[in-house]
Amino acid sequence: MIVAERKKIPELVEMLKGHKKILVLGCGTCVTVCLAGGEREVSIISSALRIASRNSGYDFEIDEMTIERQCDNVFIEQAAEAIAKHDVVLSLGCGAGVQAIAERYSEKPVYAGLNTSFLGVLEERGVWTEKCSACGSCVLHKYGGICPITRCAKHMLNGPCGGSREDRCEVRPDRPCAWQLIYRRLKGIGELDRLKNIEAVKDWSTSLDGGVRMLIREDHRI
Amino acid sequence: MKHNSNLAKRIEAGDFVLTAEFLPRASADNSSAGATISSMSNVTAVNVSDNPYGPVMSSLAGSVILRNAGVEPVYQIITRDRNRIAIQSDLLGAACLGIRNVLCLSGHHQALTGSPDSSNVYDIDSIQLIAAVRQMRDQGILLNGTKIEGDFPMFIGAVANPFMKPMELNVIRLKKKVEAGAEFIQTQAIFDVEGFKEWIEAAQKEGITEKAAIIAGILPFRSAVEAENKRDKYMDMSIPDQVIERMNSAGDEEAQRKEGISICVEVVKEIKGLDGVKGIHILSGGRESSISEVIAEAGL
Repeated sequence: MIVAERKKIPELVEMLKGHKKILVLGCGTCVTVCLAGGEREVSIISSALRIASRNSGYDFEIDEMTIERQCDNVFIEQAAEAIAKHDVVLSLGCGAGVQAIAERYSEKPVYAGLNTSFLGVLEERGVWTEKCSACGSCVLHKYGGICPITRCAKHMLNGPCGGSREDRCEVRPDRPCAWQLIYRRLKGIGELDRLKNIEAVKDWSTSLDGGVRMLIREDHRI
Repeated sequence: MKHNSNLAKRIEAGDFVLTAEFLPRASADNSSAGATISSMSNVTAVNVSDNPYGPVMSSLAGSVILRNAGVEPVYQIITRDRNRIAIQSDLLGAACLGIRNVLCLSGHHQALTGSPDSSNVYDIDSIQLIAAVRQMRDQGILLNGTKIEGDFPMFIGAVANPFMKPMELNVIRLKKKVEAGAEFIQTQAIFDVEGFKEWIEAAQKEGITEKAAIIAGILPFRSAVEAENKRDKYMDMSIPDQVIERMNSAGDEEAQRKEGISICVEVVKEIKGLDGVKGIHILSGGRESSISEVIAEAGL
């Protein structure tokens, strides 16, 4: 899922100052699951903004709403009436959600209330980790299901760098070296020979480097 | 043309070679360091590092400075800051400017340099870089299939950290570097001689030392504090506690500096005669003046 975190209240206040009627719009999908932009967080952020507004002399009038998915026009439509009544939308969706709302309501300022962080998983209560860079050409089968593009800070495709330690990455002491994980995993499933092959340079054209991406499923188009 | 550097010739002749390291400064004028290095004796080639600790003069320009001063450079390229387009372009330029040795590395992550807020590139990794240089030289073509006009004579090097564990993974990676095209391997600084012996024996068993010249790295620390800082910050450096204790108990600043050199001299004595060791690489940590001292003290 998409993992995001809330922006700090002072940053939001700075962003919103000059506006009066503000709609804080949550999203019921990924950002609800990662506790950043669901109904609960809409309520918390709205309350915090009301307090900050009073304290700093801004005159925010804040309403709250959460729709199922901000990245889907069917659901965005449900917010049309509420959006029309406000000067500005503070979206607590991911970056895709913010843009989808902004494109649909071209006359209305739409601001991002979250920092969209990564594609990841819930590791344990309150801890999410990044797993996928959406490079558009998956190589996980070669690496025992552990992505070196995402989880190695240097995107090494042929083994660890010289700074690899069995218990940590060169870059951060609290993060494992992806290559140590790949090695153990491949050894465990009897596929260590995969590591002996030289992986040729990657074609990054399927990633963001190839320009903004678009997926067209002709079989689903009318 | 395969390659024609003095380093290549001397290694192929079976000579025990000596290389050293020059760290360009954050200056548009690195001529004084060039002069220091050109005065060193017995050194066959000098590596020019590629921004290991933050932005400084480019390794390409540094290599040219050395060449102009009569020193054969080993042009270091890391894959952190340049994509395959820039790297191949620089390599062609380097060959044009008379550079004949290249060392291929991934480089420290920018978080370990003075620019942690920088983005990185890592379009290709160090093994892919080695393979690219080999392809440019032996097949005369670039990664996109473009034919190179004329020769591209480059002697190809890579690095290895003998202390990266587990050993099985370490050797798999070393073997891949050689298979990709590395003809010489310069190692990280050795302080743990037993650990190094274990590594070179493992490399020998895999036939790696027959295919590539292992040039063993040493690094004279200036002080215990420097050794401690390097140990704590750079995971590619393996510095046993005894080394730091020894530096600490050596005494004042000058005594510690001399102890750093003595430690290197002892390491050289222990590893020089080992099977598979074809030379010594003196890492300078940016203090090129210490290189001559190590050479004299170790009788290199």
